[in-house]
Amino acid sequence: MRAATWTGVNEVSVETVPDPQILNDHDVILRVRRTTTCGSDLHLIGGYIPAMRAGDVLGHEFMGEVVEVGRGVRHRRVGDRVVVNSFVACGSCWYCRQELYSLCDNGNPNPGITEGLWGQSPGGCIGYSHAMGGYAGSHAEYVRVPYADVGAFVVPDEVSDDRALFASDAVSTGWTGADLAGTKPGDVVAVWGAGGVGQMAARAAMLLGAERVLVVDRVPERLAQVREHVGAGTIDYSQTDVLAELREATGGRGPDVCIEAVGMEAHSPGVHGVYDQVKQQLRLQTGRSSAVREAVLACRKGGSVFVLGVFAGLVDKFPLGAVMNKGLTLRGAQVHGQRYTPRILEHMARGELVTEHLATHVMPLEEAPRGYQLFKDKEDGCVRAVFTP
Amino acid sequence: MAAPTLLDRAAGLAGAAGAELLRRLQHVRLPGAGQASTTDDPGTAARRWRAVTVLRPPAEVGTGADLPAPLAALGERVEVRVTPAPGDRGSELAARFREPAGEEDLGRLRAALREAKQLLEVGEVLRVDPQPHGRRAGTPQGAALEGAAASAGKEGVL
Repeated sequence: MRAATWTGVNEVSVETVPDPQILNDHDVILRVRRTTTCGSDLHLIGGYIPAMRAGDVLGHEFMGEVVEVGRGVRHRRVGDRVVVNSFVACGSCWYCRQELYSLCDNGNPNPGITEGLWGQSPGGCIGYSHAMGGYAGSHAEYVRVPYADVGAFVVPDEVSDDRALFASDAVSTGWTGADLAGTKPGDVVAVWGAGGVGQMAARAAMLLGAERVLVVDRVPERLAQVREHVGAGTIDYSQTDVLAELREATGGRGPDVCIEAVGMEAHSPGVHGVYDQVKQQLRLQTGRSSAVREAVLACRKGGSVFVLGVFAGLVDKFPLGAVMNKGLTLRGAQVHGQRYTPRILEHMARGELVTEHLATHVMPLEEAPRGYQLFKDKEDGCVRAVFTP
Repeated sequence: MAAPTLLDRAAGLAGAAGAELLRRLQHVRLPGAGQASTTDDPGTAARRWRAVTVLRPPAEVGTGADLPAPLAALGERVEVRVTPAPGDRGSELAARFREPAGEEDLGRLRAALREAKQLLEVGEVLRVDPQPHGRRAGTPQGAALEGAAASAGKEGVL
């Protein structure tokens, strides 16, 4: 089959690779219908997460049709049109039973790598490096899905492929942040990052009852999407003072909930941005956390800050004093997609959650290198490049 | 020596280095990197109980030859302790070697505990190989990563 692979830092190729096989009884094989680039892929492609082997198949956000099922699969059948959560979760361990699926004890076959870094191993993630399990990704004609009864959800007839695709990760990640940050009716919520995840975190906050939602970014097309398709307000950080804007918008309190959806390659203007870039390039920190810093400083006293963007290791100049003295709740998570996907698909079927606008560039798999270049450089208004194997 | 043989040998050395790096990671004393046994000397670390929590009642975990096969295979070399876990979390399944053990032994024990937990909770051990992949460039970094991944089931803080 054909697949898009990582072949070196900032290099993506399309190659012929072997087809995937059923390896466990709970596996299915999917014929991929849609698979999308995600901002977190850029950390892999750029070498910021040094656990990729040349030839690894990329992609973790996808949907498709079941073409083969393992003998232990009970609820999925050949022919099912399904969307698949990116994290691999067994559904049987204590963490899965608490609906903390991305923390699954049994989903990462390479636990020694992340245990050594973080003290514990989270679950595995499809197409997301050998640190997260070494699973072949979804930018391919076919992909193996472990624990399919737990992580593959049948798409309702009313929901198109183009909409369902983003339930796989962007929407479910956004929902994870908005929900676990404790968003409740009446809250003012600020979201840093107007990519797919940030937009969907904003939409989830609105559906959870937030009174007002504001999204911070600098890319005009993305901010326009937020206003037009999500229905939230926007702040262009390249044009104004974000902290002052948020104080004005909240009667001086600051947002009740602050969701950071940017991750380890955050851009920031001025001296701070240069400082972070230099320290990251010298490997004195592994992530640039300017958005998290700003979220902590913006948040109201006693409010909640959620780290939804991907970080791998250490960051510098973190305002821990503000966290303590303002009595903030600081929380983070990878996506607990299996927890939210049924509800997300219902919202999608009712037209309350639209995602098609995120797919600004739809193209054949063979054009994956061009798709990633457009996506990385944010050229031509690219929000997400979607491949159709 | 022929060039391909030299390259194979270099890749083998890099793979072994990757596995060794992973083995040492848990003993590294850097803030944020390396979390386990950092103050234990290797002898003390080797004598500690190593434990997984399994979401099954103690009666289902078994004893002796009735333990899950990967753990039972270690036989009398290890002592096994099964106790109820607090808060309805199932059972704490712990094991340690009766005699002084080396790194290879500890690796086998870590893998056996993880596999036993998966067998009890899910009914099978998750596999990842063979996976589809494209052309593997023969770089030392790539070989080191492969070595680290190959040994990752036997390493970590467990």
